[in-house]
Amino acid sequence: MIITRQKPMEEIVEMLSPYRGVALVGCGGCVAFYQTGGAKQTKEMAEKLREAGVSVVALGIANRQCYLCEEREVAGLSDAERIRKVARELEGFSELENAEAVLSLACGVGVQNLANILDIPVLPAQNTLFMGRRRVEGDFDLEQCVGCGDCILAFTGGICPVTRCAKSLMNGPCGGVFNGMCEVSKSRVVEHAVPCAWIEIYNKLKKQGRVDELRRIRPPKDFTKAANMRKVAWGVQK
Amino acid sequence: MKEVYSNFMRSLLSSEFTISGEIDPPKDANRTAVEEQVRHLKEHVVAANVTDNPIGDVIMNTLAPCVIMQELGLEAIYQATCRDRNRIALQSDIIGAAALGIKNVLALTGDHPKMGNHPQAKPVFDLDSVLLTQVLRRLREGENMAGEKLEHPPKIHIGVGLSPGVEPLEPEIIKLEKKIEAGAEFVQTQCIYDEKVLERLKEATSHLDVPILPGIAPLRSVGMAKFMLANVPGISIPEEMMKKLESSSNLTETAIDIAAELISAVKDYGFPGVHIMPVGMDKYVGEMIARSGVR
Repeated sequence: MIITRQKPMEEIVEMLSPYRGVALVGCGGCVAFYQTGGAKQTKEMAEKLREAGVSVVALGIANRQCYLCEEREVAGLSDAERIRKVARELEGFSELENAEAVLSLACGVGVQNLANILDIPVLPAQNTLFMGRRRVEGDFDLEQCVGCGDCILAFTGGICPVTRCAKSLMNGPCGGVFNGMCEVSKSRVVEHAVPCAWIEIYNKLKKQGRVDELRRIRPPKDFTKAANMRKVAWGVQK
Repeated sequence: MKEVYSNFMRSLLSSEFTISGEIDPPKDANRTAVEEQVRHLKEHVVAANVTDNPIGDVIMNTLAPCVIMQELGLEAIYQATCRDRNRIALQSDIIGAAALGIKNVLALTGDHPKMGNHPQAKPVFDLDSVLLTQVLRRLREGENMAGEKLEHPPKIHIGVGLSPGVEPLEPEIIKLEKKIEAGAEFVQTQCIYDEKVLERLKEATSHLDVPILPGIAPLRSVGMAKFMLANVPGISIPEEMMKKLESSSNLTETAIDIAAELISAVKDYGFPGVHIMPVGMDKYVGEMIARSGVR
């Protein structure tokens, strides 16, 4: 899932200050599951914004902001009508015409999809961190995939070194592994101790009787598959 | 017959006990600081490493001290890390270094930039130490990573690092095997203070046909020993050694003695040589070797 953290309230309030009426649109996807941008958090956000003097005119929630609709499906509609089309009402949809901006509680993908179909500004309530999972036994979430475009999980015990090794190494642990932990754990700028991904991979492969997977030299990563501004053409295999 | 380009490799292939040293480049453009270290080491070691911004602190680059050192008659071992350079820069730098007469390269992963004084820097790590080793061999064999032929390939010998004290050791040894498969011709290890680690290293690498030079660095104080224990992976320091430091009335003398004992132990365990990292005690490297009795 997409892991997000709500931006500090001061930042959100500052961001919304130029607009006299604001509509909030939450998301029923990852942010609802992780309780950063679902219906409940959207209502809580409205309360906090009103306390801070922001004029919140309407609240809604989209099923998934990562998929809303095509631009042509909303052609000819006003922004208020478009919001009504993609979001379910939580409060005040009759006031939508008074919204000068939208605060999206979705991840960066959702914000951009909503911005794509609206003419008024769509602003982010979240900082989008990464693709990963909520860590059950700890107090932090775990990044698991950087979307490198060339998955190697088959031979790394289902643990991604591209994501979880601080150096994205391809051929085993570096000399910085300290009692099973990554050397960056000792850095003053790293908040959490981070386990060495390669030791985790080694332990997992050992358990599976597959340590020999580590003996093959893995080739350099092909970063043409992981360039920025990627677009995947449907049905076209180059 | 293997082609030999460097005095260091010639020494490793001979029956003599090979001693390499190391210099720390200054953080500014102080050429004299390099020259002084070279003068202290020159008569005692066959070649010396030049580090590549260890822990990511910004210091003089690797190439300049290598060139200065060779002008003064001491052969250089150029340390190349994957931290700051992608595959383009790494290949380019090595080709340039070879044109300036560098004949030995040590291929390392490199510390993460978060460890140093520029933690905001973007880490590169386009290649890792295994892949860098492979690329260096390919360059020497006359081809770059794009498959283009080189009429004048860099004539370099390739070395790699090893951390013999880490737990678990198996993945570290597997990685070393891959480095050897990729083209590593010599190994220099992280510093060792404990004979048990030497023994472990000997056992774990007995199946490998490549010269391994255990790393030695003098312990200058109890504080330094404690710092190493807390911060350098895989370091163990025997209690007896700590006691010697604690009760020392002359730390320089004690440091020289401890280093000499370690150098001597390295030879006793049958290693073909030793890599001495003077960590500021370059002036005393000759004395450490003399007291060790390895020559």
